[in-house]
Amino acid sequence: MDLSDLNSSEMQKFYSEEQQRAMVNEIVTKLTSQCWDKCITGTPGNKFSSSEANCLSNCAQRYMEMSMLIMKRFQGMQ
Amino acid sequence: MDSFSNPSSASSHQLSAQDLKNQLKNQLALEYAQQFLETVSGKCFEKCITKPGSSLSGSESSCISRCVDRYIEATGIISKALFSGQR
Repeated sequence: MDLSDLNSSEMQKFYSEEQQRAMVNEIVTKLTSQCWDKCITGTPGNKFSSSEANCLSNCAQRYMEMSMLIMKRFQGMQ
Repeated sequence: MDSFSNPSSASSHQLSAQDLKNQLKNQLALEYAQQFLETVSGKCFEKCITKPGSSLSGSESSCISRCVDRYIEATGIISKALFSGQR
């Protein structure tokens, strides 16, 4: 493989797929950290209580909902 | 450039597209794992080592292993909540 192949369409596709995967991982990592702090208040047990699990799940979904709202809010300001 | 040489055919220095892809993937996975380890350490230290003593107690160790398991589980719950589309 020579250097010009680094920009081949095959590699471009690979880069953008990996970039997307990295972005998804980043969001999950960030939300897990934040939702863990919000939802897991006691010492971690052998399994999550249903309220802890629900809280985590709701936390992630509400965060996304909030991001959309904030984005719309900013778009409305322009 | 030795680290970029082709592991599957050490004799030639020709790097195939597949090798490059694999190396990039490995690099990304390693970085993710390092970051994850760091995050989990921070979270579980906070939860389990509330008053550091002269050694890790048995209850601290078991708290840590539960905490790590729960953190991994939490990561799964979050990613399911975001991407499986069930509202």
